Amino acid sequence: MTGSSVPRAGVLRAGVLRGGSILLGAALLGAGCVVWAAAPLVRSGYADFALFLAILGVAAGALRLILAAVPVPEDNYLLPASLRVWLRFLEALRLVPWEEGGLLAILWLEVLHPAPPWHTAVLGAALIGYLLATHLAESGASPEALRPQVRVLAVGAGLLALGAGAGMLPAVGAGAGSALLRLVAAGALIAAAGLVLPYVAAPGPPPGGGRWPGRQ
Amino acid sequence: MSSSIEPNDRLFRVPGHELEVHWRSSRHARRLLTLGIAGVFIALLARRPEFAGVAAPALLLLGAGRVQRRPARIGVRVRPSATRAFEGELVALDVRAEGQGDSHVRWTLHPGTDIDPGDVTAADGAQARFTFTPERWGRREIGTMDVVLRDRWRLAEGHLTVTLPKLDCYPAPADQRTKVVLRRLPNRLGEHPARTSGEGIEFFGVREYVPGDRQRSINWPASTRRGRLQVNTFAAERSQDVVLLADATSDVGVPGSSALDLALRGAVAAARAYLEGRDRVGVITYQWGGVSWLGPGLGRRQLYRIIDSMLASDAGYARGASFRRLPRAALPPGALVVVFSPLLDQRFVETLRDMRERGFTLLVVDVLNAEPPVRRHREDRMARRIWRMEQEAIRFSLRELGVPVVHWDGVQSLDLPLAAHTRRPLAARR
Repeated sequence: MTGSSVPRAGVLRAGVLRGGSILLGAALLGAGCVVWAAAPLVRSGYADFALFLAILGVAAGALRLILAAVPVPEDNYLLPASLRVWLRFLEALRLVPWEEGGLLAILWLEVLHPAPPWHTAVLGAALIGYLLATHLAESGASPEALRPQVRVLAVGAGLLALGAGAGMLPAVGAGAGSALLRLVAAGALIAAAGLVLPYVAAPGPPPGGGRWPGRQ
Repeated sequence: MSSSIEPNDRLFRVPGHELEVHWRSSRHARRLLTLGIAGVFIALLARRPEFAGVAAPALLLLGAGRVQRRPARIGVRVRPSATRAFEGELVALDVRAEGQGDSHVRWTLHPGTDIDPGDVTAADGAQARFTFTPERWGRREIGTMDVVLRDRWRLAEGHLTVTLPKLDCYPAPADQRTKVVLRRLPNRLGEHPARTSGEGIEFFGVREYVPGDRQRSINWPASTRRGRLQVNTFAAERSQDVVLLADATSDVGVPGSSALDLALRGAVAAARAYLEGRDRVGVITYQWGGVSWLGPGLGRRQLYRIIDSMLASDAGYARGASFRRLPRAALPPGALVVVFSPLLDQRFVETLRDMRERGFTLLVVDVLNAEPPVRRHREDRMARRIWRMEQEAIRFSLRELGVPVVHWDGVQSLDLPLAAHTRRPLAARR
């Protein structure tokens, strides 16, 4: 009546270490994005509030990842008040989209910031890294899970560089029209990338060949 | 942890369940969408194309995810390594998904009540193995298994929940090696030396040689002394009928080591010990509303029958709590009756007295290890004292009737409290 294959302690320890390092990486990337977008601090356009939101979003997101494995009892009847407060806190931590709020606040800080376009491009790359690391940490997956996305991420990095380059180009003429023109060019680039996307991100055949399950 | 199942494993031959997968956007997709929309929006408002560049990787990833195909149904096979286990025994649970395509599968085990999942409750891969330990006897639900499918781009998540099968958890038998043996044994071959000569191996005595005796049994020293041929005789080896009587009317004490827990564990230990000694063992479970029984039998399979009978005692004989109505098959005359009870139910004690008066040889193992709570009020202390005296009186009255009562705390081996009765045959005093 006994199972035969029991996970080895070494494998478990390696998994825990990997998960911890990804979580730490996500938290550091988030903190780096906040610092990158906020420094030097400006005092206009609710910058203080945006900074507060950014810090709150990143910190709460990291805390959510840390406490993700804490179990919640199925029934919370007749629980002590302290435990009930703790459960409410956990519920709030898990339901609120902290990372999205942090993202918006960081972008808003970057808008307020008189930064050169390459500064924004670096922030964009760091934000994508932050989102990917957060996803890996919350799903418990290894970085190998992102291997199929490498080509698309490379195209995205190219577009990011092109966008920064478009921002750094000197204006063709005076007025708002030239800025709009550059924007349209950037949008056209994104659309063009979208057109080649099906070829870059083509799915491989199903394992073992044959039809996909559920398809006629 | 996972992927340790061989391709020819029985799991592959177990029919699986086709389950519908409910797909929805992942948190990762929602975050990418937030970044993409915010980047494009800011680029348009602030007329800064570099923000469109920030939005581009997120939008590309989202667009790539749209190209993917996701299975609407997958097959899930679940196989525990055993459908029966003793308390504290390690059980493996193999799970396997089929038809998930190139989606990534994550399994999360949510254990049921009194199921200890161990250190690992989540695993990745198309197949995985979990281990768990049932902590308390009874028909236990192992729990549920959450299956999360993630597409290649990790933008959509498919969720489904599988209800795991139930597990019959048997009480962990206590440690018992020695056996109480009756002085009078029925004329049936067994392993206990009887008080008559026969074909056993234990020395019984010396008698004069008669034609037909084996030459090898001649006792030469005795023959030399007496001047006539003397032969050794050996004790006959007999078996006995043992009826275990489990009192399920009272369950007091800490769950896990309550009176009922100890009664069942002790009964299982006794059943195992006597069955290993080739005795015929049966069980009677006394509970509210009736009595269930299983007639004495032999063999290892009888042990599991006894446990099943105790755990499903409501399915048996239930015409009332009187043992007088029990058939002869359930309570054979001359059987040794080993009782596991906290002796809290007065009717049960009366039943024991009645059995003793009918000539049965009884041995009571007292499994009461709890007392009324200590309180400050004088009346409470007085009530506690009266309760103790009443308990002592019950045990004293049984001893006066010739029923030995031994106390067992559930921690030590059962051999210790039974030691006084296992060294010599138990005589039924009349």
